[in-house]
Amino acid sequence: MRDRHAHTLAGPYAMDAISAPDRARFERHLAGCEECAREIASLHEATARLATAAAVTPPPALKARVMAAAAATRQRPPEPEPEAAVRTWRGRPARRGRLVLAAGAAAAAAAVAAAVVFGVSNGGMRDQLSRAQASSQQVAAVLTARDATMMTGAVRGGGMVTIVMSHSMHELVFTAAALHALPASRGYELWLIGPDGDRAVLMLPPARHDMTGPVVASGLHPGDHLVLTAEPASGPARPTGRPSGSMMLDIVL
Amino acid sequence: MTAFERPDPERDRPGAAADLAACLRLVARGDADAFDAVYDQVTASVFGVVRRVVRDPAQSEEVTQDVLLEVWRNAAKFDPGRGSATAWVMTLAHRRAVDRVRSVQKESERERRTAAADIPFDEVAEAVESSLERERVRRCLGSLTELQRESVTLAYYGGYTYGQVASLLGVPGGTIKTRMRDALIRLRDCLGVAQ
Repeated sequence: MRDRHAHTLAGPYAMDAISAPDRARFERHLAGCEECAREIASLHEATARLATAAAVTPPPALKARVMAAAAATRQRPPEPEPEAAVRTWRGRPARRGRLVLAAGAAAAAAAVAAAVVFGVSNGGMRDQLSRAQASSQQVAAVLTARDATMMTGAVRGGGMVTIVMSHSMHELVFTAAALHALPASRGYELWLIGPDGDRAVLMLPPARHDMTGPVVASGLHPGDHLVLTAEPASGPARPTGRPSGSMMLDIVL
Repeated sequence: MTAFERPDPERDRPGAAADLAACLRLVARGDADAFDAVYDQVTASVFGVVRRVVRDPAQSEEVTQDVLLEVWRNAAKFDPGRGSATAWVMTLAHRRAVDRVRSVQKESERERRTAAADIPFDEVAEAVESSLERERVRRCLGSLTELQRESVTLAYYGGYTYGQVASLLGVPGGTIKTRMRDALIRLRDCLGVAQ
C-alpha cells in the first residue's frame, strides 16, 4: 500500500462512489498493488452484505424475461482464442471505415501552443514511481500477449496514434506522437464506447518530448470504439460520463 | 467427476455461498438449470440494491435484468480466488445501478425522483426474507460513527460520489474518503466477512 494518495480512494471505490476517470485511475493502482486488491476484495464482501440486507422480491414476471433473454444470449468463452496478428494502417487510406477521422474543428481551433498540465499526479515522487512501475508491467503484458494486435492512425488536428490491443486481456496500450498542444484548461481524454456504454478510460498525461503515453486502457470489449476527445481538464465531477468534446480519433477495435 | 447436488436456495448462508460459486461454474458451461438456481439465490438482493440506487421501479427491473444477463454471459470470469460469488454478483449489480443513474438520468430529474420516492430503510426491510442477515447488517451499521454511517448510506444506497456526499454533509472530501474506508473496514470486521 505504498501509493498512499491513490489508496485513499479505496473506500469510495469499493462503493462505486467515484467518477469514471478516478475509477480507471484507481484500477491501474490496483493492478500494481496486490495488497490493495486484496483489501478491495475484502471490502466488497462487506458491501455485498449491504446489498443482501436490502433484498426485495422482484415482480415474478421478471424471471421469465431473464430466462428468455439468457436463452437468446451467447456466453463469453472463458479463454478467447488467441490469434497473433499485426494490423497497421500507417500510410494507407482508411479501409471500410474502420479508422474514422472525425471532424475536430472546434477543438483544433481552440488549440493553442500551451503546456498541458492536468490530471493524474497528486502525490510525490514515490507515488509517481510506483505508478510508473505498475504501468510498465501492464504495458509489457499487453505487448507480449499472444493475440496482441497493432494499429496506427492519424489524429485530426495533428499527431499519430499507435495502439496495441489484446482482446484476451481486455486491455490496450495507447501511445501518441506530436499531438496538437491544447490550452491548459483542456486535456485529451480516451474513451471506450460500445455495447457496454460509454466509459471514460483516462485523461492522457502531458506529452514529454512530443510523446504521449504509453498508457494502458482496461475494460476493452471487441467492437468497442476507441475515441479521443479534448475535454475540460479540470473536474473529476463530470456527471454525464459521456464525451462532450469533439472526436479527434475514432477506431473500431 | 462427482455428481453435483442441485443447490437449495433456502439453505443458510455459508453453504449457500459455496453453492452459488458451484452454480456459477455450471452456468459458465451454459447450464440453464444452474442459472435458474442462481437467479433464485441472488435476484432479490440484486433487485433490492438496484432499487435503492435507481429508485424508478421499471428502470430497476431493467437494470436487474442486465445484471443477471451479465452474470450469465460472464460466469466464466468469476474467480473464487478473488472473493465470494455473492460479492462478485453484488459488486456487478451495484456498479450497474450507479452507472445507470449517472449516465442516463439527468441530475435534476433524479433528485426529483429521490424526493418523491424515498424508501426508508425500515420499509425496505419489511420485504426481506433473510431477517437474520438484515439484523446483523443493521447492528453493524449501528456500530459506526454517525459520519461513517451517513457516508456509507449516501454512497452505497444513494449512489452518490464521495464528492457529492462531502457536499451533502458539509464535510471536506478528504475526510469523507477516509471515513468511507474506515467504515467499510469496521463493517467488514463486524460482519466477520474478511477473506
